[in-house]
Amino acid sequence: MAKLNLINKIFNAGPLILLYFLSISEIDTNLEKVFEIFSFNLPIIIIYFWILKRPSVLGTGHIFFAGLINDVVMGYPLGISSLSYLIVCFFSNYVRNKSVNTTIASDWFTFFIALIFANLLFFSLLNNFSDVVISYTKIGYNTFFTLFLFPILWLIFSFYQANFIGGQDA
Amino acid sequence: MSVSRDDFSIAFRSALLQRGGAQKFSILSLIILAIFIFFLDIYGFVVVKKARGIINDVVFRITYIVSSPLRFIPNASTNLSSHFNLKEENEKLRQVIENYKSLDLNLEYLTNENKNLRKVLDAEKIVNEKSIVLAKVLVDRNSPFLKSIIINKGTQVGIKKGMPVTQDNYLIGRIVETNYLSSRVLLLNDLNSRIPVTLGNDSAQAILTGSGTKNPKLEYLPEDYVFEDEITIFASGKDGIFIPGTPIGKTTLNSGKYDNEIKLFVDPNQLSFVTVNLIRLNKEKF
Repeated sequence: MAKLNLINKIFNAGPLILLYFLSISEIDTNLEKVFEIFSFNLPIIIIYFWILKRPSVLGTGHIFFAGLINDVVMGYPLGISSLSYLIVCFFSNYVRNKSVNTTIASDWFTFFIALIFANLLFFSLLNNFSDVVISYTKIGYNTFFTLFLFPILWLIFSFYQANFIGGQDA
Repeated sequence: MSVSRDDFSIAFRSALLQRGGAQKFSILSLIILAIFIFFLDIYGFVVVKKARGIINDVVFRITYIVSSPLRFIPNASTNLSSHFNLKEENEKLRQVIENYKSLDLNLEYLTNENKNLRKVLDAEKIVNEKSIVLAKVLVDRNSPFLKSIIINKGTQVGIKKGMPVTQDNYLIGRIVETNYLSSRVLLLNDLNSRIPVTLGNDSAQAILTGSGTKNPKLEYLPEDYVFEDEITIFASGKDGIFIPGTPIGKTTLNSGKYDNEIKLFVDPNQLSFVTVNLIRLNKEKF
């Protein structure tokens, strides 16, 4: 029984571990070597999905901290990724409060709005308060691919949730 | 109508302020904290800079340790795919190849060992020179927006912002952030990189600009300059940062995305050891 509990805890911690791993490790979702314009923002998809479906697996404090680590590793001003992640978190929370049953299509649409706001805040802060120059084309591609890949990752995470974690939070 | 507005405000407030379970902090309080940290970092208070330096050192070390198993995967997959290709091409001679393969692996191992030992010898030679510091690349996370690497040497050995970084005497970038035990190097292909260069027999002056892609490009070339293939680009040293004459790359035609693209001598995605030049040149006075 105790062993089963431990396994459940590990499965429950899966999304959080993935979020931290993406923030701290060298592994990234910038696949320029495969396809020159291909990059997407996996942490934002993870945060949006899990806060929407199962908020108990991702604490807001962890999301904030993962954002700070991401800033350190990537060389962005401290707090900017945290802010972007928390905006996504807020949208996801809001959608969860307002809706009873969600579908992949409705999640995709609300994710689009969350992504636009999060990216808008991220890049406008970076543009106005930092010396870092960023290509707007790349931002566009990144946003597009993040949005494009959302349904695929939605299905993967839903499968993970159904088979390894269990139903929605009360 | 008013009920719907109430609904909106309740859901909105709840999304911002709700706590409980894993949500130990409300989103609003964390957003305020993030904004506070952001502005502290942006306006560069001394205490924050020092704290950030310490956090950077710790996080970079952890990143290096966490990422170390991942470094073996690309090598393993390359070896595996070449192995299968060999099998397909030489099905009939598989047995013979198997025998030779073991010998080949030994040879490859010895060759690599030889190469590494040669590198160490060279490195020792370099380290002995006081003005140059050999550093290992700790993190080369490939961001879609910023092209930079983290090296394992910092202010402890005298590294300062702006110092040029080379590999095999070819320029690869400059230091943009220093911590006590680590530094960040901005690579030549980053969008924020601008370097004065010289090229051709007539020593034409230009600015090498990062484009965010693999190859940087040349800007501000002289009027009527005819861009030719295979011309070596050198740092001009006009900025007082880079050593004049440091080779950077060669001009390349038909490279694709931009005109005036430069193929760097060192692939920015394949860096493992680099050298930091501790000499700070003074700006030329005219």
